[in-house]
Amino acid sequence: MRAPLSWLREYVRVDATAEEIARRLAVSSLEVDRVIEMGVEDVGDNLSYLRVGRVLSADKHPNADKLQLCQLDTGEGEPRQIVCGAWNFGVGATVAVGLPGVLLPGFPAPLDERPLRGELSRGMILAEDEIGLGSDHAGIMILPDGIEPGTPLSDVLPVHEQVLDLTPTMNRVDLLSMVGLAREVATLFDGELLPIAVDDPPALETEPVDVTVEDPLGCPRYLARVFRGVTVAPSPMWLRARLHAAGMRSISNVVDVTNYVMHVYGSPLHVFDRTKLEGGRIVVRRATAGEEIRTLDGIPRKLDTRDLLITDGEKAVALAAIMGGEDSEVTDATTEVLLEAANFEPIGIMGSSERLGLRTEGSNRWEKGVDPYQAEAAAVLASRLLVDFTGAELTGSTDIHSGLPERPVVRLRTDRTDRIVGLVVSSEEQRSILDRLGFEVSEDWDVTVPTWRARDVTREIDVIEEVARVVLPRVPRTMPLRRLVEGHLTGDQRLRRVLEDVLTGAGFSEAYTWSLVANDPDPSAIRLSDPMSGDQAILRTTLIHGLVEAARENVDAGNAGIRLFEFARVYLPSDEQLPEERWRVAGIAAGGFDAARAAVEVVYDALHLGLRVRRAQRPFLHPGKAGETDAGWLGELHPALLDGSWGVFELDVATLIGPVPERILYDDVITFPPLRQDIAVVVEEEVEAAALVDVILEAGAPELREARVFDVYRGDQVGEGRKSVAIHLSFQVPDRTLSDDDALVVRQRVVAALADRFEAELRG
Amino acid sequence: MDAEALEREGLAAAAAAISADAVEAVRIEFLGRKSAIKQALRDVRDRETGMTLNAVRERLETAIDERESVLARAELDARLTQERVDVTLPVGGQTRGSLHLITQIRREVEDIFLGLGYRVVDGREVETTRYNFDGLNFPAGHPARSPLATLFIDEETVLRTETSPSQIRTMEMQQPPVYMVSLGRTYRRDTPDATHSPIFHQVEGLVVDEGITLADLTGTLDLLFKKLFGEQRRSEFRTHYFPFTEPSIEAYVSCHICDGDGCPVCRHSGWIEVGGAGMVDPRLFEFVGYDPERYSGFAFGWGLERIAMLRHEFPDLRELWRNDLRFSRQF
Ligand SMILES: [Zn+2]
Repeated sequence: MRAPLSWLREYVRVDATAEEIARRLAVSSLEVDRVIEMGVEDVGDNLSYLRVGRVLSADKHPNADKLQLCQLDTGEGEPRQIVCGAWNFGVGATVAVGLPGVLLPGFPAPLDERPLRGELSRGMILAEDEIGLGSDHAGIMILPDGIEPGTPLSDVLPVHEQVLDLTPTMNRVDLLSMVGLAREVATLFDGELLPIAVDDPPALETEPVDVTVEDPLGCPRYLARVFRGVTVAPSPMWLRARLHAAGMRSISNVVDVTNYVMHVYGSPLHVFDRTKLEGGRIVVRRATAGEEIRTLDGIPRKLDTRDLLITDGEKAVALAAIMGGEDSEVTDATTEVLLEAANFEPIGIMGSSERLGLRTEGSNRWEKGVDPYQAEAAAVLASRLLVDFTGAELTGSTDIHSGLPERPVVRLRTDRTDRIVGLVVSSEEQRSILDRLGFEVSEDWDVTVPTWRARDVTREIDVIEEVARVVLPRVPRTMPLRRLVEGHLTGDQRLRRVLEDVLTGAGFSEAYTWSLVANDPDPSAIRLSDPMSGDQAILRTTLIHGLVEAARENVDAGNAGIRLFEFARVYLPSDEQLPEERWRVAGIAAGGFDAARAAVEVVYDALHLGLRVRRAQRPFLHPGKAGETDAGWLGELHPALLDGSWGVFELDVATLIGPVPERILYDDVITFPPLRQDIAVVVEEEVEAAALVDVILEAGAPELREARVFDVYRGDQVGEGRKSVAIHLSFQVPDRTLSDDDALVVRQRVVAALADRFEAELRG
Repeated sequence: MDAEALEREGLAAAAAAISADAVEAVRIEFLGRKSAIKQALRDVRDRETGMTLNAVRERLETAIDERESVLARAELDARLTQERVDVTLPVGGQTRGSLHLITQIRREVEDIFLGLGYRVVDGREVETTRYNFDGLNFPAGHPARSPLATLFIDEETVLRTETSPSQIRTMEMQQPPVYMVSLGRTYRRDTPDATHSPIFHQVEGLVVDEGITLADLTGTLDLLFKKLFGEQRRSEFRTHYFPFTEPSIEAYVSCHICDGDGCPVCRHSGWIEVGGAGMVDPRLFEFVGYDPERYSGFAFGWGLERIAMLRHEFPDLRELWRNDLRFSRQF
């Protein structure tokens, strides 16, 4: 919404600059994108070089076929000679003149006197685009007759304009109107609201207007007026200038009036060439499935039964609230006009607008819920302007509705305002704010909401908000009392942080990858009903693929020492409506299986958990280098997925941290130090370290406290298909220091068990 | 013999020794078995002379020991000096990993609020429309309910469009007072560009208690801004509209680049928009069964990406998803 300030000031008297108004509106009313400076710069005496002139003579330039040599009365006594390239005017025309010295927008330097093809030109006759009043450069601006030559142009036209570029929130459609903005400004600055005085033109000879609304829910009000004797022509300059400043294009007097009035009241209007309506009728109904209409932009639109149509009983003539139809468009030849000032229900309009991908100034307002009361004021102003600008007569009028909505009445407790806002606002001030905003407040605080806020303000809290937003700059900064509260992370949250820290300490950097993927190993993984693209169609059940891609990106970037982990959710299909969301921690690291194993070891160690890895298979892992734990898997990435040798792992966090002891009990390993010995046994190649250790610990209990493989040797000395495994043993009991003889007994049990289970031979 | 002269001579010799060998020679000369003092001690007959000689011997011993240790230390230092390394040369040990920038900010925000007595709540990412829209008072026909704005799994299930559903779930689970923050992934149907991503992160805060005011909200956010953007930051609050809060505000912080004078980062306004907030709409209390006459509350929700980009001044949020180590190691 663009609000030219000169236009706004017509409706509100306020002693504030554009910047002050913008600032205050931004805090208490709506978003202000910027203040746009338009037209001729208002610095120094620049505007005084712009004058009204009357053409005294206009002849072909003696030395140039395309130029005119003109003499103008610019109120200086002496005629002023100006060379001009336009031909759309003649002697007697009232025009806008720029005198030498004026700095025009887009010009690098002030205008100066100079000869053009041998004739001195002492100024410029201006086209509207040259002073920022429009985009037309077909000819110079013709001003209405009767303005005294020499009159400052700024008295006649907004040659310098400041325009507020505004975006109201979706509940404030009333601010998509000049009167709404004026009311807001009047409230915030305690300014005086200036009413729009307009006489409804009398209907000279009344004729019936045939309007049928078949869908009163979609169209709660339809006010139609008929005009005869319309002359379609360009709009007066001031109107063209206003529309231009407000960001709209001037089309013709008839169309410009509808746009202008929409801007004033926020209630969009539409005009039909009445002779193109079958029998001059209007029937408002839903479209039939597959029905088509060619809209004003020339595009055929295919509709369904949810779309609301304006028809003439035979054919569709407008897509209600969104865009008119091409067939009933007002053209230069139009002489009879049917003016539509209706009201449409917002949700259906929004749906149609979305489905058809068609948004207009009108639909943008309708979809937010326009006040049905505004239709009448809009119809009156539009009628006045149509009669004034087009020479038409109002000949008929109808207003179809089944009762307009009641205004909500809300009881306000003024102390409740204070308790919500945290600031004491006197009841006089609350009353004054509400009053200025158009609310009626009774003696005992029954607040009647104005029609234009009736959708949004229905409860006490909504009324409180009206006060709160006005006093917002005064609200103090306090802190909640916070009795009976204490902040802490849950155990799980704390352990998740531990995991993140352990992995970063181990050299892993944290990656964030997309939860939505193109493919997932789980065929039942959840799919979006309408994904943005095939790459983001499925909710992942594993983090690994995102990490592989992240590693690949880093390889491509030439980064070395790539170690990445991710901490994120996976979404497992379930029988419930919602999937099971589980935290996973996963990693990828250059260095193959060992890198994965090292990371998983440090994770388990940090959580005081014993790590037990079993051989396993996963389609994305190297078949010989893959294992699983109770919480997940680890291994070497299958080289088909990424060049090089990469260690990868993924652990389910809840499963992982489930067994973490809440409290660790002291174990006296200091008083009686352990006795340490190493043994080496030769076993078949297939015997895995974990199996050896299990048997050793079982046989060595209770004196054997720890058994750890520290070396594996293969070679001639142990023979083909066999390996020598060196194991570190640690004997310790809590009540005495063990002797070598004690250890020997345990060791013999261990060796015997290994021989029994694996045919292991003690080496060396 | 002249004990005093002997002592003077011995002390002088010790002081003059300039190597370990020389000190050893002095020791033999003055304290060895054949030294004058040992001879004299063997020959001494009276107690007084014996005491005097012993005292001289002890002092000589001390002096020689000290001299020896001084020289030994000097020799060690001289040798170590030869062992110098180039201390400016990096040795290339284990590289540290870094937490993702968003995780760092998440923790920072969590810690600020933990300190204020809030708890951290883990919300769900896949939500029912009941929690994502109905419970948050989104009216029928609100644009957010459209598949053009939101990612749907089926008609009643969506990827949460904000972290706010965790408010409703939390209030359903417990009675006031509620002081909580919730941080995590959120989803919207946005085409990725420098400032948009279909997946992004939000922080959500909710307080419900007796006597909570708009002033408490602005005070809390003001504190958060100062912690995140610097103690000298100022805050400003502007009216706004959200379905789940009434009154609603948008929070702005004075630009940390220009401190309010205007610069490209703040689009020459001096203020930077951080995110939305407001007083919890009484309808939410009705939805979860709290008494709106007894309790009031506030809520806020912001994008963490935006905080990261503002604070660390990088122009494209897609960097946060590229996982390039050259980016992540900077933080
Ligand atoms: Zn700035």
